[in-house]
Amino acid sequence: MINFTDMTGLASSAVAITAMAVRLPGVVRLQRTYFGMLACVIVIVVLIPFGGLPLAACMRGWIGDLSIPSLVLLLLSILRPVCACPPGGELHTPSPGGVGNRGDRSKYASLAMIAIAALGLYPMALGIGYFDPYRLGYGNSWFICGLLLIALAACFRQLPVVALTIALAVLAWGVGWYESNNLWDYLLDPLLAIYAISALARAGIHTLWKLRRG
Amino acid sequence: MNRLVVLGIILIAFCAGFFKTSGYHAAAGFERPSKAVASKSGVRFQSSFASSKKHIQTHAASEIELKDGRVRTFWFSGSREGARDVEIHSAVFDPVRELWGAEQAIATREGTELSLMRYISKLGNPVAGRAADGTLWLYFVTVSMGGWAGSSITTMTSVDEGETWSAPRRLVTSPFLNISTLVKGAPFFYSDGTMGLPVYHEFINKFGEILRFDKTGKLIDKQRLSAGKDHGLQPVLLPRSANEALVLMRHTGDDHRKVISVTTRDGGEHWSAPAKTTLSNPDAALSAVVLTDGRMLAVLNNQEQKRDALSLMISADDGITWENVYQLEDQRDQLLEEQHYLKTVAGLAKDIVATDVGEYVESVKSPMCTGSDCRFEFSYPCLIQAQNGDFHLVYTWNRSFIKHVWFTQAWLDQRLKESGHD
Repeated sequence: MINFTDMTGLASSAVAITAMAVRLPGVVRLQRTYFGMLACVIVIVVLIPFGGLPLAACMRGWIGDLSIPSLVLLLLSILRPVCACPPGGELHTPSPGGVGNRGDRSKYASLAMIAIAALGLYPMALGIGYFDPYRLGYGNSWFICGLLLIALAACFRQLPVVALTIALAVLAWGVGWYESNNLWDYLLDPLLAIYAISALARAGIHTLWKLRRG
Repeated sequence: MNRLVVLGIILIAFCAGFFKTSGYHAAAGFERPSKAVASKSGVRFQSSFASSKKHIQTHAASEIELKDGRVRTFWFSGSREGARDVEIHSAVFDPVRELWGAEQAIATREGTELSLMRYISKLGNPVAGRAADGTLWLYFVTVSMGGWAGSSITTMTSVDEGETWSAPRRLVTSPFLNISTLVKGAPFFYSDGTMGLPVYHEFINKFGEILRFDKTGKLIDKQRLSAGKDHGLQPVLLPRSANEALVLMRHTGDDHRKVISVTTRDGGEHWSAPAKTTLSNPDAALSAVVLTDGRMLAVLNNQEQKRDALSLMISADDGITWENVYQLEDQRDQLLEEQHYLKTVAGLAKDIVATDVGEYVESVKSPMCTGSDCRFEFSYPCLIQAQNGDFHLVYTWNRSFIKHVWFTQAWLDQRLKESGHD
């Protein structure tokens, strides 16, 4: 009998593979119905064991279980063409108008928080000095209080995506969604960190380019 | 989205989060191992091989005393270290019959992969511990990508003293793809019944850590033991009192290699900066136990280069100075030309096994000889003291077998008397 946390972990890997597959050039141009059907087929296929392990399990071996923000982003990127969601939820492309509207504010606030958290967490967790912030993720009350304040601030600053993502990550950790017992693993993962830092860098270069051109 | 809805979700989520933390508590000092009873077996020092398979490489033994006084040993075994066919093997020593039971594989790469539902490329060091409820826990290294620096820890439990094991489960101990946590040192207890497991990290930086588990085996905390230039690996924790403990670690630096130590005086809340001890160390694992009178007994390669000698050492001053009690192995001045080497190995094997000496020698040749040059290796010791006071030591013998040395408190007392350290 497969464990609950293995199911959630495999599902997260399946979502990651599917999100990559539906970005292939031919797939992007498919009609909405065919696109949705293909996405479903990919999810099922990567969960079927071939030679002992499903493809999702191989992916899980390499990248681990995706954090909740990663999962939300990838799900949005798969569902957007199917449900024709407004581009406000899109986080991967800098919008032409710069950083002005609410959707952009939410997007860049999320990216900045992820980048700051990653730049603070990973170097120290990998051994720069004695302080290990990863330790805070094992139920440190002050850490959770800090996250609560950030979530509330985001809510009142009209950044609901930021607030909800933090809340969902804490909820997932509270109910033991994944096999990790550390809250950081629900908030952040290295792939998300790379994405956030590169997206911010790209947006920064884009803005600089626009300023230079007047 | 309506702000009230968002606030409601935040409230529910953080209630779940705070509820989860309500069961957590800070560490409460160290539990000293229970007092050993004086052995009735008199002066005894004898050796045997725990592993029985030949023409195969074995390494990284660990052991634990069973409830009936027998000793169960674990090690990894395969065509070579890091190969895909490496398995975790186990055998039981019965001190009453003075016999080792049959060697059996208790974890394979394929089985672990299926249970963990993720790709696994190789298995490594196993370490056994017993939780407060009596359950046996086996922690072992698994790698999904890269070398040993890409390791994670996997666990299995047994409620029948290691006859059968639960399906392996993965521990998540690192935020960066959960890589680079390895295990070698024996677990220990905190006074509140939670268990500590000394582990180490090898990716980018090398340092020692302690993982802490609650009574159900759930990982609830981790703490860093070392950082900086004096890289300490494979920590071994020696509790001196409820608040004081000494940790000894393998030195991975390039020169002046000495065993690294850190200490605590507040039950593990804070640890001193790493310092070099007087013990030499050729970048190799060591093992140690605290005796009932507070003295410390260690087994290690007490030299800065090579692993061709293994020493039993004692400290009566909390690890500041150490004296050699007995030279368990010493091949430092041996010729390493193949013919002479194999003759020496045959002589050593004859002291341990009565039959098949030629087969044992042939088994050693493959992992230890390159061309016409050979080497000796006696490494990765694991020392425990049983409830009856007897000591059981296992270690890698020329990468081919796991050697078991059984000695009594009476033998130790005699050695100390003879060497003037009593």
